[in-house]
Amino acid sequence: MFKMSEYSFVAGLLATGLALIVYLLAFASLRLARSRTAYAGAGGPALGNAAMPTVTVTSGTTRGGLGTYATIITWLAFVFLTAALIFRAIHTGHGPFANMYEFSIAFAWGTLGGYLYFERKYRQRVLALVALPVALAMMLYATTIPATAEPLVPALQNNLLLTVHVAVAIIAYGTFSVAFGAAVLHLVQPATGRRGLPRPELLDEISYRAVVIGFPFLTLVIVLGAVWADVAWGSYWSWDPKETASLVTWLIYGAYLHARVVRGWRGNKAALLLVLGFAATLFTYFGNLFFGGLHSYSGLNNNN
Amino acid sequence: MSAQNPTVHRAASDPLDELDGGLAIAPGEVLERVWHLFISMRFGLLLMLVLALLTLVGTMLVQVPAGMKGDPQAYVQWIDGVRPKYGGWTNVLDALGFFDIFNSLVFKAVAIFLVTSTVACSVNRAPLLWKQTTKPRMNVSDAFFAHAPHRAALDVPQDGSEAAAQVVAALRSKGYRTLTQTTGDGAIHVYADRFRWAPFGTVVAHLSLVPIILGAMIGGSMGFKNTDFVLPIGTKTDVGAGTSLSVMATSFTDRYYADTGQPADYASDLVLYDGGRQVAAQTIRVNEPLRYGDVTFYQSFFGPAAEIKVADAGGRVTWDAGVPLRWGTNDELERAGVFPLPDSNLTVVVYGAQSGRQDPDIKAGQVRIEAYQGVADFPSASQKMVDSKVVDQGKPASIAGLTFTFVREQQFTGLIVAKDPGAPFVWFGAALLFLGVCVVFFFHNRRIWAIVHGRAGGSSVSVAAVVRHDVTYRQEFEQLIDGVRASLGAGTVA
Ligand code: HEM
Repeated sequence: MFKMSEYSFVAGLLATGLALIVYLLAFASLRLARSRTAYAGAGGPALGNAAMPTVTVTSGTTRGGLGTYATIITWLAFVFLTAALIFRAIHTGHGPFANMYEFSIAFAWGTLGGYLYFERKYRQRVLALVALPVALAMMLYATTIPATAEPLVPALQNNLLLTVHVAVAIIAYGTFSVAFGAAVLHLVQPATGRRGLPRPELLDEISYRAVVIGFPFLTLVIVLGAVWADVAWGSYWSWDPKETASLVTWLIYGAYLHARVVRGWRGNKAALLLVLGFAATLFTYFGNLFFGGLHSYSGLNNNN
Repeated sequence: MSAQNPTVHRAASDPLDELDGGLAIAPGEVLERVWHLFISMRFGLLLMLVLALLTLVGTMLVQVPAGMKGDPQAYVQWIDGVRPKYGGWTNVLDALGFFDIFNSLVFKAVAIFLVTSTVACSVNRAPLLWKQTTKPRMNVSDAFFAHAPHRAALDVPQDGSEAAAQVVAALRSKGYRTLTQTTGDGAIHVYADRFRWAPFGTVVAHLSLVPIILGAMIGGSMGFKNTDFVLPIGTKTDVGAGTSLSVMATSFTDRYYADTGQPADYASDLVLYDGGRQVAAQTIRVNEPLRYGDVTFYQSFFGPAAEIKVADAGGRVTWDAGVPLRWGTNDELERAGVFPLPDSNLTVVVYGAQSGRQDPDIKAGQVRIEAYQGVADFPSASQKMVDSKVVDQGKPASIAGLTFTFVREQQFTGLIVAKDPGAPFVWFGAALLFLGVCVVFFFHNRRIWAIVHGRAGGSSVSVAAVVRHDVTYRQEFEQLIDGVRASLGAGTVA
């Protein structure tokens, strides 16, 4: 099972890399075609036509195939990662919460899943140009960590709660990756939009839809974390750096939800909050590396 | 949009701003100003971001350990310890309370302001939401039908009431609730909504902060948490902190992974007494605490202990209990435990060899016992050592005129004892928060208005909807209109 998990992971990694390349090619060829046909549209896409995506890589007859292939490869990567996680869970007997290796694969899985969900819904393949690198980076990071499964320390032996906690976190992080992708695409273009990229309003919408899923899930992550802390450490909240960082993330996304309805905060500023929120997400995620382990024990338990 | 309109955050183009009237504001200039500040989204936004920033500072800066806060001397020492890291900033950060930021005035003030602002927003908005939900406005202006973000106009052959009935049927088939009203001019007004209670999810999410912060305050003022409750095996120990509880660990077991040597499991068998009467007995381990009322006992750490017996010159036993060897010595070769000896003027320190270390002084099966003049929980530098001896297990030795016996090696178990009467409030609030957030986001409130005017040879139907920030609603709306059109066999779309 361990070997199977490793193979699936590597396959997932390669597929994601390949998918990213194909997306890049699809996008580049689309732009090329656009400039060649000297697109003389009447000043860009009409604003009122809200549901019409600006970039539909599938739409072109010749290049269309490329985008579709990219999607198929991404699905394949997603399936490989799913298999990797399942095989590993069978091997270790628990969910992917015991170390950064497991959790990084899960993070990448969540990002791919989030992206694919939003691709189906909004057909904006450009998002892949941000979301896939995030997933890829997570997987590359995972390759730097020993994959061996260590037995669980007692505090982590709360299987059900932790598995749910992490599963929910992965969904939240996956959607935040998508929101981040849309926010980046929003920030790189002027308010009036740039040809070849989705309209700012549509990106705004995608981000919002993503956060609308992510925010309740992040809330649940924090609440479940508090339940676990209460059972294992004697208080639901102890300002542990990891909890604290997740609170920062929650506050930033909370601020984002409200910023969207404050005049002067819509658009770029809201998108900036999403970038900050994702930075906070990563900070929470990699927090362990800066702060040392989770809650520190009294230090005596390993001196016996 | 009037200055008192509570929906100031809405898009300027949002015609519902006209639809939903403002609210009366409490009198009093200052009060009114404060109120306006607190219901302003901009202020709320600022508070959230400032709180996020302060919290971030708390994760970046080392925070003073709980145990040192009450002890000014230890605190000064701790500050000096972090001085090399923060240099000249140390005093500034200290003065700002940033080394204990979550208990600092700034942090508490911002948190309380945020909760107040959140509640104010809800209090401000709730009546309006209530009105919208229970008594939705039936008559909307023609301007609304002409400018709403989602709108359609159809000319249909049916007469007014037939057309209205079809519109209602189409809306119902999509799960809408509909209300119909005919006005004096013969126009038929249709109002339809879905998930009309969903906006109250926001109110629930907002108000949930109140029990959470209340619970935190109750826990902070009426609870306690002892993270360092050490129990030698077989010795009954009072919990203290205003409780009548005492607890005894009757045994302790630990298990290790063979390959890594990491602890796999450790557990204590606890017996709990309230006022001397046994009230509970349970094996506790990490993730399986013993709960009694609002006091909880958690397995936290463990370590070696030495059972020591002391008899005075007359042979009377004045001490016979395990001494937890809780502290490591600086050279990391030995571990030490301390106890004040009853009926004497002595503090006794027991040293054992650190496991796995070769100590030149203390061999396996030995401890060193030092007796200091004066009674203390921990010998201070000013206390004079009276006597010291390395003793073998089971062999009585004379130290400071008393007979000490190292009976046997033992273990101690370290517990966290916590009482938090505020926790139920926090759990209640957390549940509300999650519930509220889910309701807002997973049940989309929809409101649609339609008006049917009869005219010669048919009627004209206008449909319009306002949906905040939801581009995808267009599709849903168009499907709805297509449905209406199909059932009416309608032609032109204006
Ligand atoms: C940490 C504190 C807060 C939390 C968890 C919170 C939560 C929420 C949530 C989940 C929504 C729904 C957002 C959406 O539909 O996109 C919301 C909406 C809203 N919040 Fe908050 N909020 C907080 C603080 C505040 C504050 C301080 C204010 C006012 C100053 C405020 C005013 C509002 C208003 C007016 C809405 C309704 C927007 C609308 O539906 O028109 N909130 N809040």
